[in-house]
Amino acid sequence: MILTSSEAIALAPEMTILFGITLAILVPNLGDARARIPLTNIKVPILWGGTRFEITSDPRAPGALSTICLAVACLLSLYAIESSEGKTISGVMEITGFGRFMSMVFTAALAITAAASIYRIPSKKITAADVKDADDQVTQSLMDNRRQVDLHILLMMVALGMSLMALSTNLFFLIVCLELASMASYVLVGFHKESSIGGEAGTKYFIVGSIASATGIYGMSLLYLWAGSLDFAILSATWGQMDTLDPLAGIGVGLMMVAFGFKVSAAPFHLAAPDAYSGTNAPIAGMLATASKAMGFVAMMRVLVGIAAPNEAVTAWAPALGILAVITMTWGNLAALSSENPKRMLAYSSVAHAGYMLAALAALGSGLADSGTQELLQIAIVFHLAVLVLFKMGAFLVLTLVEMEGGGSSISDLNGLARRDPILAICMFVFMLSLAGIPPLSGFLSKFLMINGLVTTTTDTGAITAASAMSWLQSVDPYFLLALAIVLNSALSLFYYLRIGLLMFFEEPAMDSPVPRAPLLRAVILASMVLTVLLGIGPASEQLLSLVETAISTF
Amino acid sequence: MGEQQNQEWNLLFPLIPAIAIVPILAIAGIEPIDLGFAAIAAPLAMFPVVLIVGQLWNGNETWVSRFKEGGVLALSALSVSLVAGLWMVLDFLGAGEKKAHGDPLTWLDFDVLGHDGTQWTIDTGFTNISFGIWLDPISAMLLFVATFLCFLICWFAIGYMTTDDINSNRNHRFFAEFILFSMGMFGMVLADSFLWLFIFWEIMGLCSYLLIGFYYWKESAAAAAKKAFMTTRVGDVFLMVGLLMLYDIYGSLDFSVVFDNPSTGVGDAPVKASELQPALLMLFIGCVGKSAQFPLHVWLPDAMEGPTPVSALIHAATMVNAGLYLVARMVPFVDVGYYGVAGMEDLGIIIAWIGGVTAFMAASIAFVQNDIKKVLAYSTMSQLAYIFLGLGSALYLISTGHRYEGLFVLGGALFHLFNHAMAKGMLFMASGSVIHEMHHAHHELHHHQEHDDHHDEHFDAQDMRYMGGLASKMPVTSIAMMLGSMSIIGIPLIGGFWSKEAIIAETWLGALEYEPLLLGPAILAVMTAGMTGFYMSRMWMMTFAGEPKHEAASHVHEETLWIKTPLITLSVVTATTGALLAFFHIGEFLSGKDYSLGLDDFEVARALQIAFLPEKQALMAVGYITIVLSTFVGPIIAMKVHGGRLSEGQEANAAVSWLVGLSGSFKKIDVSGMASSSLSESLRNRLHFDDLYAWGISKTIVPMAKFSAWFDANVIDGIVKLVERTSIQGSHWIRSYTTGSTRDYILMAAVGALSIFVLIVGVTV
Repeated sequence: MILTSSEAIALAPEMTILFGITLAILVPNLGDARARIPLTNIKVPILWGGTRFEITSDPRAPGALSTICLAVACLLSLYAIESSEGKTISGVMEITGFGRFMSMVFTAALAITAAASIYRIPSKKITAADVKDADDQVTQSLMDNRRQVDLHILLMMVALGMSLMALSTNLFFLIVCLELASMASYVLVGFHKESSIGGEAGTKYFIVGSIASATGIYGMSLLYLWAGSLDFAILSATWGQMDTLDPLAGIGVGLMMVAFGFKVSAAPFHLAAPDAYSGTNAPIAGMLATASKAMGFVAMMRVLVGIAAPNEAVTAWAPALGILAVITMTWGNLAALSSENPKRMLAYSSVAHAGYMLAALAALGSGLADSGTQELLQIAIVFHLAVLVLFKMGAFLVLTLVEMEGGGSSISDLNGLARRDPILAICMFVFMLSLAGIPPLSGFLSKFLMINGLVTTTTDTGAITAASAMSWLQSVDPYFLLALAIVLNSALSLFYYLRIGLLMFFEEPAMDSPVPRAPLLRAVILASMVLTVLLGIGPASEQLLSLVETAISTF
Repeated sequence: MGEQQNQEWNLLFPLIPAIAIVPILAIAGIEPIDLGFAAIAAPLAMFPVVLIVGQLWNGNETWVSRFKEGGVLALSALSVSLVAGLWMVLDFLGAGEKKAHGDPLTWLDFDVLGHDGTQWTIDTGFTNISFGIWLDPISAMLLFVATFLCFLICWFAIGYMTTDDINSNRNHRFFAEFILFSMGMFGMVLADSFLWLFIFWEIMGLCSYLLIGFYYWKESAAAAAKKAFMTTRVGDVFLMVGLLMLYDIYGSLDFSVVFDNPSTGVGDAPVKASELQPALLMLFIGCVGKSAQFPLHVWLPDAMEGPTPVSALIHAATMVNAGLYLVARMVPFVDVGYYGVAGMEDLGIIIAWIGGVTAFMAASIAFVQNDIKKVLAYSTMSQLAYIFLGLGSALYLISTGHRYEGLFVLGGALFHLFNHAMAKGMLFMASGSVIHEMHHAHHELHHHQEHDDHHDEHFDAQDMRYMGGLASKMPVTSIAMMLGSMSIIGIPLIGGFWSKEAIIAETWLGALEYEPLLLGPAILAVMTAGMTGFYMSRMWMMTFAGEPKHEAASHVHEETLWIKTPLITLSVVTATTGALLAFFHIGEFLSGKDYSLGLDDFEVARALQIAFLPEKQALMAVGYITIVLSTFVGPIIAMKVHGGRLSEGQEANAAVSWLVGLSGSFKKIDVSGMASSSLSESLRNRLHFDDLYAWGISKTIVPMAKFSAWFDANVIDGIVKLVERTSIQGSHWIRSYTTGSTRDYILMAAVGALSIFVLIVGVTV
């Protein structure tokens, strides 16, 4: 498969990432090795091997490299959203505005992860004096240049897989890209192999994930049996022609829901997620909660909305998804209430947010929504996925700083953060409020759009003449209850989000040493906080909404 | 001290860029109407800056001396608003439009959500959450008043607040709350819907509460703050009910929707007076609370516990005008000639009666007050009541079809609002100047004679019984106070005379020719005019004339730069603008009869003729009776009781020495018998309103509150605790499924997969 130059240009973000991966492999190996030309004494430098140069042996190089590559890829994607023309490549990919918007979200999340990893897994040159004992050796080995290279190559692999996944027009290619990203992320979860908890988390995540993927691939094979092709266009056309649900198709889609349900951490497939989040580093956990989840949702939308869009005869998956959504959001919020580990709490909060988005997706599948409302629901989901990168990731970045001073496994490590570092505490509080959906933050706007879509979907179903709220509620379509469930769950979730604020502002800090400086990380946190506010109210939010609208129109 | 003050001019440098912002914006192409956003945004943005920086740099040398603990920053923010306000007002005057409505800023853009099935549409039927700027003659006038006085009083406050040790290191709080309040006032004036008006109204209420309670460790200040907040809350609840009723009628609270055609409501249904009138009365009760009218007037005198700049700004010049502003907004509803709703005469009569009664009652209580700020507080109440009376008459006359007379008195009432705000803002600042200097003189005295402090325990820097003879020591203050008092009294040709005359004359016209029920307020208004002459003169005489009645009063010295500048500015304004604007016939502009205010409106003869030679004989008689009562009878009695020459060797400024001399030339009369009568005793107890309310509340509200507390502690808390316990138990239960064993996870996933299978098949089959 040879790409033409115009195709390569259309794939510029992916090319950038690929280039980054190549560089990350090559650059650390450059040295002053020379080869002697046979039979002579002339030695020519071949640069490969030997004693490495100062700059190529610098352990900070891979981090800088991947951060820059991912950021460039993100900007290229942003630039391509409005200019992409639906070019198809090799029959498995189509460069659409939607695909580019999602690759922007993915690469943004991963660029932030890469930047944060520079601090979380610090890199500095090891000298003999640094190594004190066996334990220290373990830590020092983490800082080794080679480990840095591995980490950042894996991060770029994740980005590559996700980005290609968003462009795919073929189910098989989609699964392959999904697995590329997933495999890399399993390793990232267990990257801290020296700590038992990290290894355990990675293994669990890998096993449950593999089983979910296997289920999904089995579902895909059923779909192939049914339609004879894995191309989205053919699958979707075949689905649209069905008068009654073909069991092969129904079960195939249902099994794929299991696979993607694991990716978005929907209950009851989410159980490994809290273990994974709490076992790994905060930046990686943030990546799982934002980019990985967005990937799952894109795949789910591709299959459920792209292929199995409800036609008049068949609205097969919507009730199942609706029930899944309610269970997911309730489970997530309830479990988060008594979590004492902040990363676990955020993991459960992430489960709850998946539930909200699943509810919007279920309304999309109900077949009640007119085309405008369908578009609105899609906008709501994609907008939420985009802004999650700001405040969910932001919260994990704050935890990164707390982890850097040795804490982060207990919620009490946040005690009195406001006194030690008011700006950091304010940022964290804004993230929490946005997660809870408090106006005028962007978390509110996305939740508002979702509820608005849900209510609009069912708006014509309740009997206007109903005398009481109860009788109206009985007459309205059950999908309205999803909106009610979101509202009740939001009330429940306020408890644990605000509790963080309570701890940060009113508790006595356990130590008075200043929080680590980490200038780049702080800049990212501050930028995320500002954007969380700006994308919730004012012209910037309208800008983003119209961008999402453009993206959705090419879905 | 003088040298140091001269150096303080350079503190004003931050004002130069601030003043330049608005012209730059205007040159950059911002519509003048959109400058309103700048006027609101500047103080809003500065509020957290002053608060946070003040907290971080508390006590820092630079912060105290260079920034005056945030005062300079607050002043620059307010100068942005001032320039923006002036720019907007001048542009509006030139444009000659009936109103200007800027493009609203929309937050939740509902037209993203408005969809007709085939394409996205901008559906105006949706209620957008948006905020726009609305400018018409009423809001233009009030915008000028608010921006101008906020700026001047902030200037004054820098001098007043930062020289007192008691405020040290807390002034940033004062200035932060001060500009937040200013933001609320600008927002309320410029808002384009009743909802935003209400929101800013409440922001002002909050700031009023915070600032009255600035000295919160003083029990009386804390109590006064609570009293002010709670009393105005009573009115606000009614206001909110009224707004809901209005929303029910019109389906919107936007001015552009409501005033487009007040006689048709939602769905083009005709609006019935029986529905609209109760709604407007509810709004009026809110106004009664905010503008301290009978029977919700009890909070205003106590509010004088706040720092004097607060009294000047909030409780005299701006916030208390909010109620008047809202009542003036009611005119289009009753304007039967122009889409108004017929049959709402009662509204005007009720408002006029409340105004008349409050005017008289407040003036009579002012007779016996010895606290200089309390006198001014009651005077404020009384003058606001005049304006209510004028607005009430206007509403009545317009609703009965007498549009010409109605608009005339409407213009007069709004003009009186302007005159009163300027004069009363200045009077409060002048009183602040007196209090400030008395306090300092006493402080120094106390410092020098520490052994002799037996009478100090009783000393009160605000009590006029300790003052006297200050005319020679405080020339600027005494002239300002004299001009302000003259404006309030309504001495012919000065300030308030022009507007008060219009209110009284037209109320009499309404009473004599159309509606006998208006006779009561009309008579009360004339009597109050005479009483105003007395109590204002009494205040001036007790403070500035005669001999010093306390050692401190003889050691008072000159005012500071910060305090003198606004006094001089406002003295000029008070002395000249009343007549000048009357010659321009500003009333016709304010009432909307004439949309522009140009040079061709300048007619001195016509203004004089309207004021002194009305066509109707009866009105002329009323006019002259008023002039005689307020200009001669009241002040002369006051001079006879409280006047007197200065002590030996003291020379007053030429501008006031004639007055002091005049007061000394009258034969003194003794009124101690009258002062100890039971009437003045009950006046001193503020006619027992506080006692009555305390009794009433203890019999009704307190038992209810006790029941509510019980209900809250047992029922509500019980439910909340139940929810909490259940949630936590649920949390523990559901987390027990996260066992940590991969086998269980896979089992759960299998159960999930099976359920999905069952659901999909179940739905299909």
